[in-house]
Amino acid sequence: MTPLVLGVLAVLLAGPVPAALSRIGALLRAPRAAITLWQAVALAAVLAGLGAGLAVASQVLLDKHLTWPWDLARGFALLVTAVVLGRLLLTAHRVGLRTRQLRRRHRELVDLLAEDAAGVRVVPHETPTAYCLPGFHRSRIVLSDSTLQSLGVGELDAVLAHERAHLRARHDLVLEAFTVLNEAFPRVVHSRVALDRVRLLIEILADDAAVRRCGRRALAQALVQLASGTRPAAALGIGGGDVLLRVRRLAEPVRPARAVAVAAYLAAFAVVCLPTALVAVPWLTEAVPRLLG
Amino acid sequence: MDVLWAHGDSGPCTVREVFGALSASRDIAYTTVMTVLDRLAKKGIVVQHRDGRAYRYAPSEPRATMIAGLMMDVLEDTDGDVRRTALLRFAEGVSAEEAAALQAVLAQVVSSDTGRPARRGRRRASAQP
Repeated sequence: MTPLVLGVLAVLLAGPVPAALSRIGALLRAPRAAITLWQAVALAAVLAGLGAGLAVASQVLLDKHLTWPWDLARGFALLVTAVVLGRLLLTAHRVGLRTRQLRRRHRELVDLLAEDAAGVRVVPHETPTAYCLPGFHRSRIVLSDSTLQSLGVGELDAVLAHERAHLRARHDLVLEAFTVLNEAFPRVVHSRVALDRVRLLIEILADDAAVRRCGRRALAQALVQLASGTRPAAALGIGGGDVLLRVRRLAEPVRPARAVAVAAYLAAFAVVCLPTALVAVPWLTEAVPRLLG
Repeated sequence: MDVLWAHGDSGPCTVREVFGALSASRDIAYTTVMTVLDRLAKKGIVVQHRDGRAYRYAPSEPRATMIAGLMMDVLEDTDGDVRRTALLRFAEGVSAEEAAALQAVLAQVVSSDTGRPARRGRRRASAQP
């Protein structure tokens, strides 16, 4: 019974739950809690998927009356679990490697080509843009020189505060985990809403940090200025909606929703503990003593 | 690197020439210059030309081309999600219609915000140009 329940749970957590979560607008008012919830849902989905396989495995080990050939369904379930685990580890390795390679190569070029202006690298280029290269010791904030010309002092401060918030809180690590999940599994099993939503949430967190430092107006002006100065990337066709949403938040400031945050944290806690309890408790009470004895 | 670019049209430089240009402005060892050039060559940023017993070095691309390539990394999302994760951009680009919508919302922000940081704002009123 346990494998089936866990299997269904895994499927729910991979598909319908993220889709529903992404439609809860209130979560944007509690970004930190919302990120925790997204992480919990992703973790729970993976745990439930692997747990289903483990539960099957322990049944197979315990069931002495099993006849050859094995129950086909069980064999299949085990195979799927192995593949899921394998893909996850492999993709984590690949994404981690590629991310680091890209950053290192980019950082080397930035160091060669950009001027260092008080810790911020300035690249001579006509497209106004600002970004950061996260890293443990070697993070960089990079602006194009046209950014310096098109933004006022307050706006520039807001941009820098935003980027420093990213670097300080290592938002890239959260993003990297969701990138791995997104790349590891075929589109049939999951959707990319989680990655897109988390991307938006970390931007909101960094925006909030910038607002606390420089005010809503400066940040909004910087956002509009830099977004309008760049054409949208053809490949993905997203991002524009996110910027609009971020500026709208600044137009109608709402108080942080404490109730939403508490609910999100509770839900996050529950969603991780549920499958864990489902696997761990029966396994500990039944399987372990029998395996030992 | 700047020395090599400045040298530009007159062809590739020897280590000695680069060293000569750099040591005028800073304290640097000849072997350091050699090592750095060798490493840049391995990375494909400069190219090595054999010239008798010595090597001559030249940038593999003009500076402007290299900068264009660098910014392509940032602005074009050819590599999709991984690239977007590697370089966190402040604001993605928008289409013309979206830009117009942004202007409208911005007007709301400006009218609703007096320019002072929101509650808990510590430092100073945001300086507007």
